[in-house]
Amino acid sequence: MAELRLRDIRKNYGTVEVLHGIDLDIRSGEFVVFVGPSGCGKSTLLRAIAGLEDISSGEFRIDGALMNDVAPSQRGIAMVFQSYALYPHMTVFDNMAFGLKIAGFRKDQIAARIRQAAEILQLTPYLDRYPRALSGGQRQRVAIGRAIVRDPKVFLFDEPLSNLDAALRVATRIEIAKLKQAMPGATMIYVTHDQVEAMTLADRIVVLRDGRIEQVGSPVELYRRPANLFVGQFIGSPSMNVLGGTLARTGPDTRVELDAGFTVAVPIPTEAAMQGQRVHLGIRPEDLRPCSTDPLFRATISLVEQLGEVQLTYLDLPGLAAPLIAKLPGHLDLHPGRDIGLTAEAANLHLFDRHENAIRPAEAGHKVAVPAE
Amino acid sequence: MTAASSRSFWAGMSQAFLWALLLSVGVVVVYPLLWMALGGFKSNSQIFEQPFALPLQWSFANYLSAWQGVQGYMVSSLLITVVSTVTTVFISAWAAFGLTRTPMPAKPLVTAIVLGGMMLSPTVALVPLVRMLQSLGLYDTHWALIILYTAFRVPFTTFLIRAYMLDLPRDLDEAAMMDGANPGQIFRRIILPLCRPIIMSCIVLHILFAWNEYLFAMIFTNNPSVQTLPVGLTSMMSKQGTDFAQVFAAMTISALPIVIIFFLTQRYFIRGLTEGIGK
Repeated sequence: MAELRLRDIRKNYGTVEVLHGIDLDIRSGEFVVFVGPSGCGKSTLLRAIAGLEDISSGEFRIDGALMNDVAPSQRGIAMVFQSYALYPHMTVFDNMAFGLKIAGFRKDQIAARIRQAAEILQLTPYLDRYPRALSGGQRQRVAIGRAIVRDPKVFLFDEPLSNLDAALRVATRIEIAKLKQAMPGATMIYVTHDQVEAMTLADRIVVLRDGRIEQVGSPVELYRRPANLFVGQFIGSPSMNVLGGTLARTGPDTRVELDAGFTVAVPIPTEAAMQGQRVHLGIRPEDLRPCSTDPLFRATISLVEQLGEVQLTYLDLPGLAAPLIAKLPGHLDLHPGRDIGLTAEAANLHLFDRHENAIRPAEAGHKVAVPAE
Repeated sequence: MTAASSRSFWAGMSQAFLWALLLSVGVVVVYPLLWMALGGFKSNSQIFEQPFALPLQWSFANYLSAWQGVQGYMVSSLLITVVSTVTTVFISAWAAFGLTRTPMPAKPLVTAIVLGGMMLSPTVALVPLVRMLQSLGLYDTHWALIILYTAFRVPFTTFLIRAYMLDLPRDLDEAAMMDGANPGQIFRRIILPLCRPIIMSCIVLHILFAWNEYLFAMIFTNNPSVQTLPVGLTSMMSKQGTDFAQVFAAMTISALPIVIIFFLTQRYFIRGLTEGIGK
């Protein structure tokens, strides 16, 4: 059981600042996932928590105790590395025993702990093997086992599935989810750039960009109520379609005149001061559906990717650099060149202001307060 | 003749040519050694009369008397080689660990200074070294050669081990750090065992060097009880210049340990060198 508190965490490499003041509270027993594109600082933040990177400024506490200058091994943290980092010259048993031996545990205690962890991770038959004689998935389990035996307060996972093939990745992801269920008290922090891992594993997701937190929330919250355009596009696959436009009418019955040549009514109230301002309309591909009578817009299909259950339909719209994507049912007869009418539930439309922040019903008034350029 | 059979004919020819070439090179390398070893079994007159013939009778007399002559030098050589190998490899491995795995101010400069030692010519340093070792009271002792061999080989050995260590993933250090290991434990229990191939190569290379080194051994030792095999063989040759059979026997005895060690460790020798630098 451990509660983590990060306050204004900054990390500099020389004059370059890569973490720009991270504030985050992680509750005891929580599974938190850091996601973001490459170079967003998620791994640096994880390594700072582990103690493998010094924190340039700010405070990091575990259960109230300041950890900034505490050695990695004294923080009660175990880490599973992306490369597994198993000691190649040691057997599975010795790999798992290494930390315990250093900590001065008795042989019988070490054996008991390893036996228990090996049973949980189904590694018992492999304890005498060397890492080179194991498959990728087994190595990953050894790496997790090495973390478990130390009975840490916090588990850190640094992109642990990225070296596995697609099928094994799914299987190991499920194992990690089961592991979390079996250890409800353990606080886990998981870094990934794979949003499926983030959505399926996390209690809360932390989306990072350029060393800053963009949004913290539950997977559904991030999906349904993205705080800004970046989060909206980052969460969800294929990513959210974004259409540029101008606020043609404000008030409770907001209307957006899109560059693509049609007008959309959005049930998000806007302030009169926003009249004429540039906005972005977000529509998720899965929220679009075909509609022959009174569609939101009509477009020509440029490409269809048939996935069986669904088909990803790429549509050309005037004024859009990239094609608009719609995730439509697999049984529909769709082919390039066909003209199709599409619509979406008004409740599923997302509106972002010119600063790319979400305009939400409850926050509309607040958003208007942003000074004009 | 069809195209396929013509191709296989030329493939066979090139294979045969390759074998012939390798065999010739092998003969050129091995024959002088064999000739020397066989010379040790011959009488002095047979060496001159029938230099390329097999010995008329296989007598170990020359080897036995040569052994009497060289065993003192052999002990010195063994002592100096073993101790300087241990010190060189240990110091170099620690230095390479420091240069590759620890935060250190001005690391490129320190690396350049350490590796720059490879450019120092032993000949240039002879005079000051003689003065220095005399003033330290180490002149004409085993320690003189142990220290010099260590000092002059540490840069090269560090260079080899450092190149190998650079390729070892840093995650291993960090995993060990998370497991609570201090730098000494990381070095001893993680990095050093993983460097075994290059350590073995360095050991073999150092043994070859220390066993055969002549210049320092000749300059820094006078007393026969301190002198090593190369110097001892030279003095044997000057003393028994006409008894070539015994000289050959002595040279064979002195070369034998190196040949044995090389054959026993050539697997490591080749792997260590190719893995370390050839990536």
